[in-house]
Amino acid sequence: MNEQEFVELTAGYALHALSPDDERAFETARRQHPEWEHHVTTDAETAALLADSVSDVAPPPSLRGALLAQISGATPQAADESLTVPATALRADRRTTTPEPEPEAAVKPRRRRAQTWFALAASLALLVGVGWGAVFVGERLNTPASVVALDEIQSAPDAQSETVSLSDGGEVTAHWSESVGKAVLVSDGLPTIADDESFELWFVRDGAAIPAGLFTSDDGTATALLDGPIESGDVIAVTIEPAGGSPTGQPTSDPIVAIETA
Amino acid sequence: MLVLVVIDGVDVPEDGADSVDHAGELLLRVADGDQAAFARLYDMLSPRAFGLILRVLVDRSQSEEVLQEVFLEIWQSAARFAPNKGQGRSWVLTIAHRRAVDRVRSAQASTDRDVRAGFRDMDVAHDGVAEEVELRIEGQRVSEALATLPDPQREAITLAYFGGYSQSEIAALVGAPLGTIKTRMRDGLSRLRVEMGVTS
Repeated sequence: MNEQEFVELTAGYALHALSPDDERAFETARRQHPEWEHHVTTDAETAALLADSVSDVAPPPSLRGALLAQISGATPQAADESLTVPATALRADRRTTTPEPEPEAAVKPRRRRAQTWFALAASLALLVGVGWGAVFVGERLNTPASVVALDEIQSAPDAQSETVSLSDGGEVTAHWSESVGKAVLVSDGLPTIADDESFELWFVRDGAAIPAGLFTSDDGTATALLDGPIESGDVIAVTIEPAGGSPTGQPTSDPIVAIETA
Repeated sequence: MLVLVVIDGVDVPEDGADSVDHAGELLLRVADGDQAAFARLYDMLSPRAFGLILRVLVDRSQSEEVLQEVFLEIWQSAARFAPNKGQGRSWVLTIAHRRAVDRVRSAQASTDRDVRAGFRDMDVAHDGVAEEVELRIEGQRVSEALATLPDPQREAITLAYFGGYSQSEIAALVGAPLGTIKTRMRDGLSRLRVEMGVTS
């Protein structure tokens, strides 16, 4: 693409009107030619002035409060494109009535995973949740910290639990209490993983995944305490990662477990 | 208490000195995690952003959702705002516009959109289409600038910006080749830039 062809597209880009093909070609050329960026800037400024022709409309006051609460929580700020939360994930978090087509995300190619993961986690929670219930945990307890935490949770007045079934027949139960601020995952029938892999725990909060520790299992059972406090509305998720945890600090594979705790 | 009077995030002094980009300054603080700056930025620009989103989407509850998405994106990605590449206000409104158009193109919104514009069911002449959009142009400076454009250019720009239509959709709507629509949009935006005195 030469500069003239690029300038032909910047207007359509500024008005967000390019076809997907044109937009891809445009973005490629834009990366290759930072010296053409001023065309993009100028057209974006011009297009934004069109917004002056609309009347101001005050949004509902509740929205301001909701936003400020969200940012004062743990919504992380991103320094790069990869951490931007997809719109679908935000919508899923807000439990709007519109069904999302996310189950398809499970079969999308690996390269799409970064974009689809959060939405997928949210939808999995809805798909595989099988209701409330206590689970016998006795002999599966294998670490003192998780035993103590599980006792604390179960004696709390707001103790909750939810069990989901794994695709190959296993069961995973999350136990949590917001007043205690802890969550424990009790698993049975986990898939066998390689020696150089481990299970990694995550809190999915406001569409972002927060690492919450690693665990392994010799016989498919495990009881694991999630690192860090649980917050209202968190999704608890498990992925299979390289031993030592995801090198990027973000999930590199689709979750095998996603439990909504709201 | 310090009272700062700001019109839409940009002060343009009478003496023609450089305008002060208040929204841009707030964005730099937001990028550092300053929640108070975020609240001020929201108070400053959310009515305009919401008006724009509502214009594109029509549906109020969806517009509220999109506004929330927009400001969360601003909170999360303020570090990508580059003061040397445009005004903070434009950066915010660009995000609002893109999110609104993305939503209007999604399946959920298409019904409202068809009802509103009536393109799919009614055989509206394209003059009528442009007229329908034009009727709702209110900003005097912008409408004056738009009025200087040849009709086909104005039509292409308003259908894209306010209607959320892509270039190929506009080509189909008005019955012109895609290349023609691209050229109209290019020429129209360039002319608007001159009319509205945008410099870069």
